[in-house]
Amino acid sequence: MKRQIPLMIVVILGSMFVVHTFVPHKISADFFDWFQDWIKAISPFAILLGVISLSMVNGTKIKRKAPNWQYSVVTLIGLAFTAIAGFVWGTQTGTPYMWLFKNVQMPMGATMFSLLAFYIASAAYKAFRARSTEATVLLIAAVIVMLGQVSLGAMISKWIPITSKWILNVPNLAAKRAIMIGVGLGMTATSLKILLGIERTYLGGGK
Amino acid sequence: MKLSYGKAGLILFLMVFSFLALPTLSNAADNDASFIVQNLTAEDIPNDDGGGLVLSWKPLSKEKRIIEYRVYRGASKDSLFFHGKVDVNVKTGSSGDVVYFYDSGYNRFVDLQSPGKLKKEDQQSDSSPLYQRYPRDINVTGPILKNYRILGVIPQKDFYYRNKKVEVEEDGESQVYAGLKIRHFSGLYKKLKVDKKYYYTVLAVTESRSYKPYCEPIVGIPRDNSPEITKKFYSVFLKDEDKLQFEWTRALFDSDHSDHSIYMIHKDDLAKFNNFIEVQKLIEENVVARKEDPEVKKIEQTHKNPAQLIFRRYCGYPYTPNNTVSVKIEDGKIIDTEQDINIAINTKSIEDYYFTFSLSDRAGNETFSAVTQSKIMNADKLPKLPKEWNVTDRKNDKGDYNSVYWGKPSVFLTNSTYLNDEKTKLLVNYEIYKNSKYNEIKNVYFKIYNENGELIDTINEFYQDKKLKVVLDKPSELISFNMTIRANGEYDEDHVFQQDLVFNPTSKSLQPGKLYLNDTEVNKYKYSVYKRNYSNQEWRLSKSSMGSQREIHDNIGYRLAHFKSVSKFDAEKQMFLVSPGFTIRMDKQLKNSIRANLYPSEAVKSVEQYQKEIDKYTAMKDTMKTRAEKASADEAIEYYKSQLDLVNHPILERAASIKNKKSRLKYLEKARRIASRSFEYKLLLSDGKAGFTESEVYTTNKKSKLPWTKKVRTSFTTLGSDHFFPLPNWFQNEKFPALIATLIFGILVFFMIREAKKGKDLYVRPIAGIEEIDNAIGRATEMGKPILFVPGLSGISDVATLAGLSILGRVAKKAAEYDTKILVPVRNYIVLPIAQEIVKQAHYEAGRPDTYDKNSAFFITTSQFAFVAGVNGIMVREKTATNFYMGMFWAEALVMTETGSTTGAIQISGTDAVTQIPFFITTCDYTLIGEELYAASAYLAREPLQLGTLKAVDYFKFIILAFIIVGTILSTTHATFLINAFPEK
Repeated sequence: MKRQIPLMIVVILGSMFVVHTFVPHKISADFFDWFQDWIKAISPFAILLGVISLSMVNGTKIKRKAPNWQYSVVTLIGLAFTAIAGFVWGTQTGTPYMWLFKNVQMPMGATMFSLLAFYIASAAYKAFRARSTEATVLLIAAVIVMLGQVSLGAMISKWIPITSKWILNVPNLAAKRAIMIGVGLGMTATSLKILLGIERTYLGGGK
Repeated sequence: MKLSYGKAGLILFLMVFSFLALPTLSNAADNDASFIVQNLTAEDIPNDDGGGLVLSWKPLSKEKRIIEYRVYRGASKDSLFFHGKVDVNVKTGSSGDVVYFYDSGYNRFVDLQSPGKLKKEDQQSDSSPLYQRYPRDINVTGPILKNYRILGVIPQKDFYYRNKKVEVEEDGESQVYAGLKIRHFSGLYKKLKVDKKYYYTVLAVTESRSYKPYCEPIVGIPRDNSPEITKKFYSVFLKDEDKLQFEWTRALFDSDHSDHSIYMIHKDDLAKFNNFIEVQKLIEENVVARKEDPEVKKIEQTHKNPAQLIFRRYCGYPYTPNNTVSVKIEDGKIIDTEQDINIAINTKSIEDYYFTFSLSDRAGNETFSAVTQSKIMNADKLPKLPKEWNVTDRKNDKGDYNSVYWGKPSVFLTNSTYLNDEKTKLLVNYEIYKNSKYNEIKNVYFKIYNENGELIDTINEFYQDKKLKVVLDKPSELISFNMTIRANGEYDEDHVFQQDLVFNPTSKSLQPGKLYLNDTEVNKYKYSVYKRNYSNQEWRLSKSSMGSQREIHDNIGYRLAHFKSVSKFDAEKQMFLVSPGFTIRMDKQLKNSIRANLYPSEAVKSVEQYQKEIDKYTAMKDTMKTRAEKASADEAIEYYKSQLDLVNHPILERAASIKNKKSRLKYLEKARRIASRSFEYKLLLSDGKAGFTESEVYTTNKKSKLPWTKKVRTSFTTLGSDHFFPLPNWFQNEKFPALIATLIFGILVFFMIREAKKGKDLYVRPIAGIEEIDNAIGRATEMGKPILFVPGLSGISDVATLAGLSILGRVAKKAAEYDTKILVPVRNYIVLPIAQEIVKQAHYEAGRPDTYDKNSAFFITTSQFAFVAGVNGIMVREKTATNFYMGMFWAEALVMTETGSTTGAIQISGTDAVTQIPFFITTCDYTLIGEELYAASAYLAREPLQLGTLKAVDYFKFIILAFIIVGTILSTTHATFLINAFPEK
């Protein structure tokens, strides 16, 4: 029963959504809206699971004095502190919660994001090393595309921006679309497998 | 980095200190009094319906670090409720010297978000008059109803089935109301009352959310003003048809407008009319001044209005009214019996007449436009409406649109770009407007001429990609295009669109000029579609469109709520009271409303009431002396008689025969729905200056099939022929190819599964990334380090996440078999329990439930980069030997995999995010590209069912490829039927 009930829910609701895709009728649209509202209503309860999980993982680390357990203390205090700030003073502009968001979380997030620039440079170096014919083609294409995006490229030759555009619009787009077709079919196949009960791993377990 | 007690303590101390102390310190030195808002005023909004005031005050300096101004309002000085706020950018402060706040229209009164009980505003003393929003407590809000105009929005089901009949004694008579709890309203909205005193105050809130002292409350009184002056008013006299045509610009505020009128003034009376207007203005000012100060002397009108009414029409708010009218002159007279108009006009000297347009509001205020004279012309100079225009129910929708379409498709140029420095190659963009009838465009032919009128190129656009490439011999400042269309197999060579590309020195490019159709400028005229239903007397604008457009879709939304005025409450029953009556439709003459009542007994009572009124007025007539009094009594008798006739209307009779209360209301609602959602249409083509041509009301002999019984349709005889009701569709035709493709795919899946089950060896191309999974797990086992598995950052509704979780199941089982620890950090809390369950089940299946750690799948955070920081931390601290990234990823992908790369872990990734695949390929040892992610689960399972599906995907890809090749060949040979068989999106 533990498996069959969720599977039944998936099969029934999944089939209904397949029908909804092809049926524009008001009944179908209303069902979809109702379901969306229902998801909105129940999903906040799931956040409790997340908080419990976070507390358990970090609590266990502190309890067992696992290596670097002090980080867990900072995490749990941060969690409690932010939650209390939100519950006590609200989440409007000017409240401690928003202050924490603006002055702690946002700059930290931006810091992590800015690291991406360095990682891209490092990844580009790895990708563009001309170790093989394919890598050399990649390198040449990349140089042309990069130069095509800046005015220096047009200054060197009028063909650079044109070639850059061609690379992006023809071989690049063709490859992208090929991947997209494959992804689309893969998604359909996976959805079909789930609907037919062939794929049940997401319910926990293989069969 | 090892975190010591000292360092951890220091970090925490700094966090707490900075967030508690810093904002406070920044304002500590300031004096509270300097935060009081200055120069607060409340002025009446001009030209409105008496429901608006504009507040203004001087903003505080940006050094005060203000983040918002909060506005409080009340009918008395001692209780002011939060009404609204003005947000301020704390860094820049308010822009300008004055802050404005408009208190107009309906705004929130009470809803589910209101506080349950009356609450003082934050940080206020006991003596403060400031409160938070009006509470849901009816004992508090009930008495406040009298201070505002309250509008209740009640969902249909609540109004019909959750009401309670409440009887109230009023003037010695018992009145019946429908009682509803607050929860039965989707919202209660309030609006200021005319001539009532309201008190306002404003307080500033600083960055640290400190509420500063409020300023001394001020008084504002909204006044019902005259409507605004109509900005433009045009008149045309059609000499050959003896007809006057008028057109005017619409007003900005029209919520209380009642009538549109046109007056005629002979040139000899113009001075008198101007004098009359002058005094009229003084009277209006005097009325307001006398309200402010009763001592002010009353001004009387000393002039007679010499203007003669020639047209009057009710303009029904809340819809956009018609802004054109034709007035027919017959035998030198303008006659309208309904409006009691019988005016002589000399059409031979029409230039002797001036015309003025007036807007009247419900309070009786009237504003006249500037006078205008008629432009004299013949009817052949008016724009010509297309010979054919149609109204139809739009296909493939949920029944909320009617389509109105006309004429043949149009084509026009939209832009052009030079493709070379020599300016001899051009990319020209064009657009086509199709409609429901002409929706299959086979060819668009372009003939291109140079500035000397020589033909330079002919292009046949058999596949309309909306762009043309034009090659010129030399740069040109003018290129002309003649464009014709073959649509639905018809080619009309006389239907030629002409447009030039003209050099624009500002943009230094060739830009499209005016569009002509057979030498007539197309966009000089505008199409307007007007509509009217069974419940409205007047035509209202559905949509206006450019002259080149060929179709509009008229939105006819489902009416799911009743709008009711709320002025009474029952404290005992904790209910607001609303009228139980509701309008079904108007009678056939569109004069009187057919009204029903929630309670059948009340419907019977109203018949008795009408009869009583008739008897009363008949008796009164005998005692009346003046003719005017008698006429007024006759009018009243006539009205009540017509109401009595309406009581016997078939809809109400049928409703009365239904005994079950719910069934009766269902029937009435059905009738109401048909009446309000069935529209008749007319089309108008105008130059915007009274030069317009209006069609007759659209009617058709081909009645569409409608689902209602004859009994219902007897009350709506024109339904389907004149009135059009949009019906919902059960199938979206555009998705037919998708359905066929899905069915073929489904059949392929079943077939391949059957083959696999029979034992047929299905070859699956080896995928290095998947084959390496076992080795990667083995490596982690050998090293004694954990495995990290990130199932993407997306939610459970993303198929990539499901595919990732399927792979997790296989990986976790293998890890359990090898007794290797697996870590599954999760970003989405709905994915978390699923991931936990998968890992747990994998351990059970592997026969190692003892090694299962419930904390192996755990939640980190929903924040994208905070999650990355967490995952990177795990990689560095735990020194994971193998990292899997399977699912949906965004910008964070590279940050994670680069970190993994530096820790020396073997990394296998799989995603369908096209933008992230290059990063994964660069930084991971193996990558599952796109569909391989979805194939991985089947590949690992090696079960017939899974392999069959995988094989079906391959065959289906082959079908797609065949279609692409065949489609390309056919298109190259101008055969576009295959491409057109598929929807564009």
